[in-house]
Amino acid sequence: MTRAVYLAGGGLCCTAGSTPATVAEALANSSGRLAASALSLGERRFPYAALPGPLPQDADDWLRRAEAACRRAVAPLGALPGDVPLFFASSSFQIGHFEAQPAPRDLPPACASFVGRVAGRLGLDGVRHSFSNACISGQQAIQAAAAQIADGSIDDALVLGCELYNRSTAAGFAGMGLLSPTACRPFDRDRDGLVLGEAVAALQLSARPAGWRLAAVDSALDAFSPTGPTPDGSRIAALLAACLAEAALPPADIDLVKLHAAGSPTNDPAEANALRTVFGNAMPPLCSLKGSLGHALGASGVVETVALLACLDAGFVPPTAGFVTPDPEISLQPAVDRSNRPVRRVLLNGIGFGGGLAAMIIERSA
Amino acid sequence: MIDLALFHQTLAPAALGDEVRALLGKPLRRASRFAQLAACGAWRLIPAERRDWPTALLWQSTSGPRGETLTLLDEMDGAGEPMPFDFLAAQPAIAAAQLQPLLPGLTHSLHCPLDRCDAADWSLLLGLAVDRLTGGKSRQVLCAHLDAWDDRLIAHWLLLSAEPLENPAWRLHLQEQPPAATPGLPDTPDLPARLATSTQGRLTLATAQPAPRTLEFVRCPTRIGN
Repeated sequence: MTRAVYLAGGGLCCTAGSTPATVAEALANSSGRLAASALSLGERRFPYAALPGPLPQDADDWLRRAEAACRRAVAPLGALPGDVPLFFASSSFQIGHFEAQPAPRDLPPACASFVGRVAGRLGLDGVRHSFSNACISGQQAIQAAAAQIADGSIDDALVLGCELYNRSTAAGFAGMGLLSPTACRPFDRDRDGLVLGEAVAALQLSARPAGWRLAAVDSALDAFSPTGPTPDGSRIAALLAACLAEAALPPADIDLVKLHAAGSPTNDPAEANALRTVFGNAMPPLCSLKGSLGHALGASGVVETVALLACLDAGFVPPTAGFVTPDPEISLQPAVDRSNRPVRRVLLNGIGFGGGLAAMIIERSA
Repeated sequence: MIDLALFHQTLAPAALGDEVRALLGKPLRRASRFAQLAACGAWRLIPAERRDWPTALLWQSTSGPRGETLTLLDEMDGAGEPMPFDFLAAQPAIAAAQLQPLLPGLTHSLHCPLDRCDAADWSLLLGLAVDRLTGGKSRQVLCAHLDAWDDRLIAHWLLLSAEPLENPAWRLHLQEQPPAATPGLPDTPDLPARLATSTQGRLTLATAQPAPRTLEFVRCPTRIGN
């Protein structure tokens, strides 16, 4: 059995707002650049796209804050059946909670036990699956849920992407020199690294027809280096081509590309090379959301899907915050002005730490 | 029908380096315990002539990088800026990347951390594996459960191939309606070990939710000379 898979609804809690509507409004009515908090590591400070309100200060606060963010993200979906299968994506799970515990620490035996706790707080007692594969965790959760809906195993799925404040993740990225000390500048000549962010997003997938259909989703591995893909973008291009083939679409049918574009000095050019390979001189409009939302890592695949759909359903393509000066090496320019151009099909690209790649194509179903 | 090969091992943490050197003829420098454990399993299960075939690695873990996480958290207690390179190396995404030079055909990796100790997610991994094989996305799929506890390393492996294996232990297929009274296996981490010791000719994998298709294992006849 192969059934169509629809995107039946979404919820979102991130630095730009606590509902898809408020996030869309924030992305529409400003230049979009995030009002970043500061994250401290030793003597260094980095901008950080925090949820509204203070960062957590102790263990209980971290868990309560996480549960509250998950509830807010799921709320727009209304009452879900208690047995809806949960597909949970994160790269850090509850490590922020462990950080706040005094040594010696006692970790739970099952590394993703946080997911059971979140499910309980959301009143979900169905099957749970967890995904942790750096920045493509969210897309892989969507892919697995979609596969089960397509083959008739389940009719609905809740995909939850969750990435919340912790210093461990930031220390890792800072240690590798991947964080910008100033701002996220996707595809910009002066880009100097990522700005991390925290967010929780919920995406309901369903076999029941809805406004958007998942036309293709897949992921791949490009282990050129621990922090980036093959510079010529060939592996990314192969994945994008495979997704287009799965969706039975020519490149010309794509109306918009949601870039990964995290502002990385090395990964942005690889992504641009891949897009040139796939689209040639007929490049569709491009947008990136990381200048507005920060990079929510394992949640970003779900977060950016929900945020983009909120904008498209409100009738506009969001501007790319942080892009100012074109880079001759990239030679591609994401749109910096809000556009009301109709969008029927979107290609969403993702690149992960460690060489993970992910791509999705969504299209309006009517 | 999909051919299955299986493998499972338990090692003392101190024995891992010797195991890697014995198999690969060299150490895996800067590789995490997960990457080394994965290399051992992949090397044992996939013959040399198949290592450049398009391959997916779908793996799960109960423990996760537990030791590396505790070390990182201790470092975070200090005043300075930590440099958590061991923790980073133990991340699932990096472990897969470290495996690719040994397994050039590795083109896809997915990792599922588990939220309870008494259950695994083989049903999800095997379902995704079947999709990849029947959809032509991979020629072979490695499914694994890997744990790195303080006192032992545990690896349970299944290799799935849509093309015949030389000596398959079992065959896997999807049944709309499996034969009545086929014994069921629970979805637990040690599924490959249970298959290895089972005396049944057919087994199904129990799933936590009703499914339109059942994963059924059918024992392959032992070949003379095996």
